[in-house]
Amino acid sequence: MKHPDGATLALHAGGDLGPIARWRTRHHLAKCGDCRDEVARFRGVRAILPELAETPEISWNRLAAEMKANIRLGLAAGECVRTGPTPWRETPLFTRARAAVAFASVVVLLFAGLVLEHPGPGAPSYDGVVVQTTANGIQVREGGQALRLLHSGAQNVQYSVGAQGSMRARYVDPETGYVTINNVYAD
Amino acid sequence: MRLAVLGFLGAASVLAQDVPLDPRSSISINFAKDSPVAVLNVATGESRATARGAALVLDLHMSLTLRNLSASRIHGVTLRVVAQEVTLGGKGSVAYPSLNVGPGEAFPVRIDMQLVRPTQAAAGPLVEVNLDGVLFQDLSFYGPDRLNSRRTMTAWEMEAQRDREHFKRVLAQNGADGLRHELIESLARQAERPQLDVRVARGGPAVSSAAAGAERTEQFAFLKFPDAPVEPVEGWAQLAGNEVRAPRIEVLNKSSKAIKYVELGWLVSDQKGQQYMAASLPAADPALYLPPGRTARVLQETALRFSRSGQPVSIQGMTGFVSEVEFADGKVWVPNRQNLENALLLKVLPPSNEEQRLSDLYRTKGIGALIEELRKF
Repeated sequence: MKHPDGATLALHAGGDLGPIARWRTRHHLAKCGDCRDEVARFRGVRAILPELAETPEISWNRLAAEMKANIRLGLAAGECVRTGPTPWRETPLFTRARAAVAFASVVVLLFAGLVLEHPGPGAPSYDGVVVQTTANGIQVREGGQALRLLHSGAQNVQYSVGAQGSMRARYVDPETGYVTINNVYAD
Repeated sequence: MRLAVLGFLGAASVLAQDVPLDPRSSISINFAKDSPVAVLNVATGESRATARGAALVLDLHMSLTLRNLSASRIHGVTLRVVAQEVTLGGKGSVAYPSLNVGPGEAFPVRIDMQLVRPTQAAAGPLVEVNLDGVLFQDLSFYGPDRLNSRRTMTAWEMEAQRDREHFKRVLAQNGADGLRHELIESLARQAERPQLDVRVARGGPAVSSAAAGAERTEQFAFLKFPDAPVEPVEGWAQLAGNEVRAPRIEVLNKSSKAIKYVELGWLVSDQKGQQYMAASLPAADPALYLPPGRTARVLQETALRFSRSGQPVSIQGMTGFVSEVEFADGKVWVPNRQNLENALLLKVLPPSNEEQRLSDLYRTKGIGALIEELRKF
């Protein structure tokens, strides 16, 4: 004989089986004394469950009440120590602080624009055709173009300038022994 | 990150391609058929071309060997080197004064320069070297003279003759010891001569230096030489801090001959009274013709900015003197040695080409070599 498992017997004891499973279990119990005893034990346990459940229910309810009370206490304490502005929705849209921040942002934006439009000394700026000395030569430049005459290794280099826009570097070539005069012209 | 760095380096290497220049295709040396000098050899072993963005940078290190084909001694040569004619950045010249090259003799010259030209104009020779002028011992001249080399080299030769005669006179009067003492003094002057860094601008803003203050009109003071054919009358410039612009000086022709070119020397002094040679101030009008007894105005529309060791030098005063005059007949006047000594200009002006050459010869080869050199002239 095949017996129903313990879960089926427990559900039958509580009246929780479906119609077909309840008919089949009842048919089996009519012929099997062991399973009838098992169902009887389940019904005995069930009879004492309400007493067992009563104590935890009281504890959880108390705990929930305490938690709610603590949350309310925390919110109340937060309201007491709040020093900042009230939530934005409760303040006007235009305040002095906001206007100052907006004005500062505009100033920064304009300053950045001016710097980009007029770069500082580090960036090349157009100032016409310029002739000038360099570390080891003379050069004429206009914007990004330049001509540089070098006298690397020469000693006692004498520079002279023409106010019309020319420059000379004069030295004695150490290899040839000849006086060499480099010239650059602005026009 | 590493890939980005590698990519950047790769791009940089592509942008800065460095290739040697082929002298046969990249450098054109154009001497006329009737030129008194011929090119015997051209070496461009170290010359290179580097592409940087839209520009081509040419590092030129040329060594030329020229030969005097004429029957006269050559005393000066000017070569005109052109990378491009239109845009700036490609015109310069290299001059060799104080030469003494006899007929048939060869002499080496070197050109070390860095030229910039647009890469899109790179078809054809990258550099052209032309002969702008040759000055002979008798002051005759050959060449197209596009850089006014005739007048410039003639003035250099006049100064060279002046200073050679000075050293010869010292040798004759005081012997080798006297000449040695004179050369030591010259070398000391050259070493101690105060020099300013000068920046000349044409076409840009007149006053843009942070050191420039309120602009004022400043009058020139003048040094006058008794034998000068031209006398400065009055002059002024706009002065602001370390910048001077628009100098103009009125000069009077007190000689009996017409004059076609005048150049003045321009000294400036700082707050401590230290004088510096600022610039030469040439007449701007190429068609200048100044008859005897008439006045003309020497002016330049440029701005000069002065600094020393990177610091602006505030200009307090200006002094002018006549440094070069060319008469209508082509003869050139330069101040004599006595004029320069009396006006204490020797301490401020750079030495002449010849004095620099002779003092360098003394410094490197001694008094014997110098005396031998003086005897050649």
